[in-house]
Amino acid sequence: MNRTLTVTALLLAAGLGGVAAAQTQTSYKGPKVTLTYLHGFTGADRPVMERLIAQFNAAHPNIQVRAQAQPWGTTWQQLPSLVASGRAPDVVVINEDQITNFIARGAVSPLTNAELQSAGISKSRFYGPLFKTADYEGKSYGVPISSVAYVMFYNKDLMKKSGVTKVPTNRTELLAAARACTTDRSGRKPGQAGFDPKALNTWGISLYNNWVGSRLAYAAILQNGGSLVDKNLNASFNSPQAVEAVQFLVDLVQKQNVARPNSTEEAELAAFSQGKVCFFPSGQWYLDRFEQQKMNFGVAFVPRVGTKQDAAWGGSSHLTLPKQRAGYDANKRRAALAFVNWMTSPNQNLAWTEAGSLPVMPAVANNKKFENRPIAGVFEKLGNIYATSGFPWGGQVLGPFDNAWANAYSGKQSVKAALDAGVSEANKQIQQARKTFQ
Amino acid sequence: MSLSLPGEAARPREGRRRRGGREGSALTPYLYLLPFMALFLVFVVYPVGYGLFVSLHRWDLLAETRPFVGLEYYRNLFDPETPQSQFFWNSMKNTGFFTLVSVPLLIGTSLGLALLLHRPIFGRAFFRSVFFLPGILTVSVMGILWRWMFDNQIGLVNAVRTDLLGMQPLPFLSTEGLAWVPIIVGTVWWTIGFNMTLYLAGLGNISQSYYEAAEIDGATPWAKFRFITWPLLAPVTLFVFVTTVLASFQLFGQTLVITAGGPNRTTQSTIQYITEEAFSNNQFSSASAMAFLFGLVMLIFTYLQFRIMARDARGEN
Repeated sequence: MNRTLTVTALLLAAGLGGVAAAQTQTSYKGPKVTLTYLHGFTGADRPVMERLIAQFNAAHPNIQVRAQAQPWGTTWQQLPSLVASGRAPDVVVINEDQITNFIARGAVSPLTNAELQSAGISKSRFYGPLFKTADYEGKSYGVPISSVAYVMFYNKDLMKKSGVTKVPTNRTELLAAARACTTDRSGRKPGQAGFDPKALNTWGISLYNNWVGSRLAYAAILQNGGSLVDKNLNASFNSPQAVEAVQFLVDLVQKQNVARPNSTEEAELAAFSQGKVCFFPSGQWYLDRFEQQKMNFGVAFVPRVGTKQDAAWGGSSHLTLPKQRAGYDANKRRAALAFVNWMTSPNQNLAWTEAGSLPVMPAVANNKKFENRPIAGVFEKLGNIYATSGFPWGGQVLGPFDNAWANAYSGKQSVKAALDAGVSEANKQIQQARKTFQ
Repeated sequence: MSLSLPGEAARPREGRRRRGGREGSALTPYLYLLPFMALFLVFVVYPVGYGLFVSLHRWDLLAETRPFVGLEYYRNLFDPETPQSQFFWNSMKNTGFFTLVSVPLLIGTSLGLALLLHRPIFGRAFFRSVFFLPGILTVSVMGILWRWMFDNQIGLVNAVRTDLLGMQPLPFLSTEGLAWVPIIVGTVWWTIGFNMTLYLAGLGNISQSYYEAAEIDGATPWAKFRFITWPLLAPVTLFVFVTTVLASFQLFGQTLVITAGGPNRTTQSTIQYITEEAFSNNQFSSASAMAFLFGLVMLIFTYLQFRIMARDARGEN
């Protein structure tokens, strides 16, 4: 007993000592500077961010960070004029859906390897694809601070009742489990004589028609080795791999009858809460809600319905250094990098997960704090989360993609026709957008 | 001259007094106008001018060059090959359809309600408040409410259809055409109270003596409405018509929240599409060009309505 305690104490001391050393180590030794920091964490995450900033200021007498929280949309509208007039804040948080556009327009400055190194920021600390979200044309522009992801919630009670013992991880398992979960109002299963797909009582998986619903199609396309854009950054979500992946999902509703047709996110959310559906793929942000409902549920990584790799959609926020006017104080930039490093260090990232974010690095995901939490079910594959990023025309690609998914899911068009139409529309818009970037 | 009117002789004296007396110099009125003029220049003339500049250039605040492209973005709106032309005119068609359907409904129902609630019925004040209350909700609350009511699966409307009437549910939110139902019904519910209140005020201004005289002549209720109420409400109707048409053209929040413009952009309003082009696609010049074209169409409509109003004021209506 005593020995165990001593060992634990030693281990703890070692761990904390390491952390403390990392924390006091700062790359900035220059004169006192004041940094302005603009972010959009205005909800329940705001007090957590403010607490972290206060801690940073207390621990760094020669750097004072003055933070301003405002809605994301306001920042997207203001940032260009702030940069153009040379009044940009020293540090700005930009989300994954905007970042490549701001990079391509020159609003954000690249972070060189030398800079990252001297500030103590190591790329390898983070999940690879997450860090690459803020990369463009071979350069890095931001450091991830916050992350959300598409996951698959599962209802343990209904699975048990349906005889499903294992959470599906691939196409075959998903289809089998979904069939087992599906019954019509008279208790018949898909494939049985007299089964009425229009009157489902319980069903296997939630598919739905909005942008959140279309993120499952995005995951399936990546899993099959496809992508939204090709190497020239033109839309390419109608490749054979993409069509095959989306066809599997559409068949779940139209052929297999294990999902409800014409459904909405609200309807599927309600159905999952009421125990009518086994698998509900959606954003991890619903976690709180299900926990508060005291549901008997679990969280898993999106099953691999493609054949090439694991993949799921993720959203993220990145600390960036905007482009400044000529003659900008080099001390400020060094101090800003020190701030970015501190804010994205394991201890701070662990504190930040209280705000609802997923860990942005394995060191935090391995923390004991998460061991018995439902969300830990996806941690093993956090390195397989991919943002819709890397092309400056986010709206022009995602709008037509989401619309194509809605048309294919509802059966208005065949999968191929819907994706072809989406790509054609997206590429026409990209062609126009390119002129702005010349 | 014996034919001259009495006022004419007095006029020059008045003029002298105005110039000389305590009413100040000729500059005075302009000084009074100055604060408004300043605001008008800063918040109307300058943005409009800047918008016009943006629409004629390939404009991005961060770009190093902002080349003049003339009418390129306007031409795009008339070139059937561009997505801009396709979606802009589609959104104009949608907005026009909404206006055409919703305006008669908004006027008819509010007039009907006002006629019912003008009479001394039991609980009149309560009903007046009940019909007025939805108007104080924000568009997002109103939108979410009606999206839930008409949800494809869990909406109240479909619950009634399936559970009470034994019918199949209708996917209102994802069916072209049907998606307009929650938007129009919701808008009527949301804005009916304001128009109703205007009509109630108008009805209160009609002298009872007209109705008493008509009753003596044996007029039917319909005749009383047709020959007394309706003509005397004409100024109110015109005001309601003009404001409702302008408000309908500005359709934005309802479609954004209820259907997000879908399915397939069949409920996307013009302002929604302009917003998408500007802030989702970052095509500010193109969005500015659309805004100017849309503004021009609105201006023509407003001009026509003013013509009607002026004719009405002269008593020609």
